[in-house]
Amino acid sequence: KPSFPKARFLLQPFIARKASMAAAGPAKTEVLSLFRAFLRTARQFSDYNIREYTRRRAADAFRENRALADAPAAAAAFADGKQQLEVAKRQVLVYSLYAPKAKSVVEMKIQ
Amino acid sequence: EEEDDSITIKGVRISGRPLYLDMQATTPVDPRVLDAMLPFYLSRYGNPHSRTHLYGWESDAAVEEARARVARLIGADPREIFFTSGATECNNIAVKGVMHFYRDRRRHVITTQTEHKCVLDSCRYLQQEGFEVTYLPVRPDGLIDVAQLADAIRPDTGLVSVMAVNNEIGVVQPLEEIGRICREKGVPFHTDAAQALGKIPIDVNQMGIGLMSLSAHKIYGPKGVGALYLRRRPRIRVEPQMSGGGQERGIRSGTVPTPIVVGFGAACEIAAKEMDYDERRVSALQQRLLDGIRSKVDDVVINGSMEHRYAGNLNLSFAYVEGESLLMGLKEVAVSSGSACTSASLEPSYVLRALGVDEDMAHTSIRFGIGRFTTEEEVDRATELTVHQVLKLREMSPLYEMAKAGIDIKSIQWSQH
Repeated sequence: KPSFPKARFLLQPFIARKASMAAAGPAKTEVLSLFRAFLRTARQFSDYNIREYTRRRAADAFRENRALADAPAAAAAFADGKQQLEVAKRQVLVYSLYAPKAKSVVEMKIQ
Repeated sequence: EEEDDSITIKGVRISGRPLYLDMQATTPVDPRVLDAMLPFYLSRYGNPHSRTHLYGWESDAAVEEARARVARLIGADPREIFFTSGATECNNIAVKGVMHFYRDRRRHVITTQTEHKCVLDSCRYLQQEGFEVTYLPVRPDGLIDVAQLADAIRPDTGLVSVMAVNNEIGVVQPLEEIGRICREKGVPFHTDAAQALGKIPIDVNQMGIGLMSLSAHKIYGPKGVGALYLRRRPRIRVEPQMSGGGQERGIRSGTVPTPIVVGFGAACEIAAKEMDYDERRVSALQQRLLDGIRSKVDDVVINGSMEHRYAGNLNLSFAYVEGESLLMGLKEVAVSSGSACTSASLEPSYVLRALGVDEDMAHTSIRFGIGRFTTEEEVDRATELTVHQVLKLREMSPLYEMAKAGIDIKSIQWSQH
């Protein structure tokens, strides 16, 4: 029976290659598409503060993560971004169901 | 277009929902927190203490996950976190529970004059039972004198309670120094961190904290839930305030409310990730607000230290202007004067009085609370409305006229009619 450490040592080159393939960073077009989806979703929030926050936070996060050098980190950030987009889409719906009739004073014209 | 959207309440008509700048009173629930909570109101509604079916198991797993998230934010072990109904309950358990447990050997409590009402009231309750309490004074900048604290500690001191960030003036106390002194003298250190959690970095080991009160609705979580941190090494024992089925290791009986506990956990996780980003934004917005107001209005005093402050809390006093009338004119901005807990009475805030602020300046204080969702536009609009209202009131104020003419207000002999 092969001992485990020996088996792992033999499989090492295969494991390493598989890992790098799985963690290949997202393509530029994918990232742009996700970013645009975020901005579209943000616009749909009925609440002024949440709308502005989503738009601003997404823009700042994408800008900051642009500098991510290694592929696994970029892939992780992209996956997280996709998950956050799903949360945002659901919440747009929930907020619209309970949107108050009156909007924020900031959205009204200045008297 | 104005008629449908305007709101009429208490005889006042406003054109829309006011700008919310009262983050110390409470914060809006973050949509990511709401998203985490909803499944537990819809399909996963089990009682976490039900041991015999899936509903109980999944509910319990969710509670333990939330417990781990809260612990991670403060550098604690999940076994040291006990869920309660909020920071007020935590403060009651901490103050009364610790002193009652050690009532034979420890008869003395040290706290400050600027603590939250629930801590002060718990101390007063202990005094009625025969314990002794020392209320440490604060300097005019709101910070305690650490040497004075060290001197006040006696062999029979059972607890030192100093809040981390003050809810009215935003001042941050020197937690590490206090923790070090308490550790040296062998006295448990309790801190009410309701306003500090998720806003300033907290590490219970670095700061030598023995007990800590946490609140969810101050960090964009749901109302009605909080947590008590209780150190395991060295173990700090408390007498429970709630008798019952022994939930939460006997410290706090009662069904653990899974949906809001999950919300609290989600809020803590988000706060851990967003702390730096939020802090940068909020500091910049505070500067913007302060500069905006000061450029148009003079005789504005900031209550509390500017260096040791959490940026999201700005408490300002406008000389020669009365606080209530200023607030009545600012109906499109949701701010507060004094704290919500004390606003039922007509007395000026005891916190400002402890700072040594004059009565007239204490009456005129306004607290601006800036948070994660506050925008530049809101800050600019609030500045504009505040400046407009202050100038209007000062124009009508005879005191302001006299002050401008060089008369010393304090030397005036007011005549009786």
